[in-house]
Amino acid sequence: MKMFSKKERREAGQGYLFLLPALLVLGVFVIAPILYAVFLSFHKVELIGGASYEFRGLDNFMKVTFDDRAIIALKNTAIYVAIVVPTQTFLALVLASSLNAGLKGQKFFRIVYFLPTLTSSAVLTLIFMWMYNQNGLINYVLKFLNLPTYNWIGDPDVALIAIMIMNIWATAPFFMVIYLAALQDIPDSHYEAAELDGAGPIQKFWHITVPNLRPVTSFVVIMGLIGTFQLFDQSYIFSGGSGGPNNSTLTVVLLIYQYAFKTLGTMGYATAIAFMLAIIILVATLLQRKFSKEESLY
Amino acid sequence: MKRKKWLSAFGLSSLLLTTILSGCGNEENSSSGKTEIVLSGWGGNPTEQKLLNEVLADFEKEHPHIDVKLNTISDQYMDVLKTRLIGGTAADVFYLDAFEAPALIETGAVEPLNKYVTEDFDLDDFEKPMLDAFKNDEELYGLPKDYSTLALFYNKKMFKEAGIKEPPKTWEEMEKIAIKLTDHEKQVYGLGMLPQIERMYYMAESRGGEVITDGRATFADDKVVDAIQPVVDMHVKDKTAASPSEVGAGQSAGEMFGRGKAAMVMEGNWNIPFLEDTFPDLDYGTAELPTVNGKKGTMSFTVGYAMNAESEHKKESWELIQYLTGKEGMEKWTSKGFALPTRKSVAAELGYDSDELRGSLVSGAEYATVWQDGPTLPIVMNNFNNQFLSAYLGDRPLKEALKDAEKQANREIKVTE
Repeated sequence: MKMFSKKERREAGQGYLFLLPALLVLGVFVIAPILYAVFLSFHKVELIGGASYEFRGLDNFMKVTFDDRAIIALKNTAIYVAIVVPTQTFLALVLASSLNAGLKGQKFFRIVYFLPTLTSSAVLTLIFMWMYNQNGLINYVLKFLNLPTYNWIGDPDVALIAIMIMNIWATAPFFMVIYLAALQDIPDSHYEAAELDGAGPIQKFWHITVPNLRPVTSFVVIMGLIGTFQLFDQSYIFSGGSGGPNNSTLTVVLLIYQYAFKTLGTMGYATAIAFMLAIIILVATLLQRKFSKEESLY
Repeated sequence: MKRKKWLSAFGLSSLLLTTILSGCGNEENSSSGKTEIVLSGWGGNPTEQKLLNEVLADFEKEHPHIDVKLNTISDQYMDVLKTRLIGGTAADVFYLDAFEAPALIETGAVEPLNKYVTEDFDLDDFEKPMLDAFKNDEELYGLPKDYSTLALFYNKKMFKEAGIKEPPKTWEEMEKIAIKLTDHEKQVYGLGMLPQIERMYYMAESRGGEVITDGRATFADDKVVDAIQPVVDMHVKDKTAASPSEVGAGQSAGEMFGRGKAAMVMEGNWNIPFLEDTFPDLDYGTAELPTVNGKKGTMSFTVGYAMNAESEHKKESWELIQYLTGKEGMEKWTSKGFALPTRKSVAAELGYDSDELRGSLVSGAEYATVWQDGPTLPIVMNNFNNQFLSAYLGDRPLKEALKDAEKQANREIKVTE
């Protein structure tokens, strides 16, 4: 066995010393809670009144199979992800390329489009709830255009859609900025060459812009997947914490919150669902990566 | 040179460490030698809040060694309270709704009070159903600060126009006069009612059925279904009853009544100040709820003061609870009529038992069913209300809806075990 020299050891020690603050913070606030959550997920936990733990093995994980609300939550979240991720990605791409086309005042529009991202989601939700009100702005506009109006907040069939619209509107600009940055990297020579070959703007978009942005798209989709799977605050505020009307805005994270903080004695079950959600997100991300394997074009 | 590097690295780390740790510090010392105790509750309207502050000021005057800090949790009260109880930062004394009490008592976070209660305090003076709501095996865990039952509010003008002399005594009578009072053209209904279990629990159990048996939902039992079928029938068959949201009054039967969209509603004491503020010209009266199956019945909602089992100042906390639920404190607290006193002597003192409007609420206290039925009631309530609504709207038969609800409730209860 090779022994480290004194100097090497000292240098390593120095290194760790410098790492110490970061390690401590990560350890206390990230790693320890994760380990504690693993521990909790195998127990029935009652934290109030002098914490008590009772080992239950895989019980918590099995409960999901007969928990109707968990299944509803998963279904709602899946629908939400399946609609929001593609829509917001596509919208971000379209917004970015139109704002990169050299229009007049595009800097101004870049700022305007980016504004929703800067607003806190809680505030945004409250503002949207005013607009979604039965006598609110959105129904007013719909009525003005002779379109059917909806009870956006109270109708189980549309409540989730209302949240989707709001979130697409709020998150797409964030990804737009990422696309904008990536667009600067596409060499002009490609577009020139395409023009010489007689390509129109739409052909240029599909055959140069989109393929060149593929690595960024991959990033955007993965970030979108993670973000949408973790939908919580909007549906919490929208339904006052209940996930209603009739469980239509119940998402997985909202369910975890309810089991952790609302019902007593289900903290262990809540952490078990949290782990299952983590696994689902991991699998979805891996699948996404598999389908868009080529990270580079050349 | 080397040593210097070491030193700086060490210095930097420890500096960061102390900044982190100092955030966790706990400062607690009362400079004036007074004991500070914290009281948590949810906010009421401004007048109520002022009244509470006055009562607390009186208490501090009488107990100069105690300083009471009022901490108002304005939203998601139970979530906040539970989180604070876990973190050990909950108030010494806090409001506890009877409905939430059994589950919290089970955890051991609430201090048992039997050992503090003295003969002087006169427990027998309390309305028994409200006191029992905070009991678990003879041990007392909270003292009801106030309550309200449900009474029948009726619109005198509408009654006169329909030629009805007095409020109905039985449910059947009420069904009959509701037909006379209903006017579909004007969107006026005989009875305004929230289709929720918390308003008809006493009815549900009036034929001997049980909504919850040993912590399991059993409300699909025929006895329960038959007992509440009249509620559905009045809405679906007779079309003489409606929920407030059908006439654009949201979740407030009081508003429905105030706007003249319902000739009768079953509401509590909170409706009296509400009507006074919002519809001052309304001419109405109250009566005890109509009997179901010849039996008197009503609901009762109560909130109590409970003590944190981890409180460091239990003696002082008890002094506060004792004062607030004592004759003097309660008399002041309930003097403005926002809530009814749980002590019979105070109710008599304030004349509420013979009050024109509040009398029928007070008489209900004796036979009321308290809105509390063990730790599983919140789950049962959610599932019942969700499915009951579909029956109430006439989408499906009541029995079928309740069967589904019962199944779902019991699954959910199993999940929490």
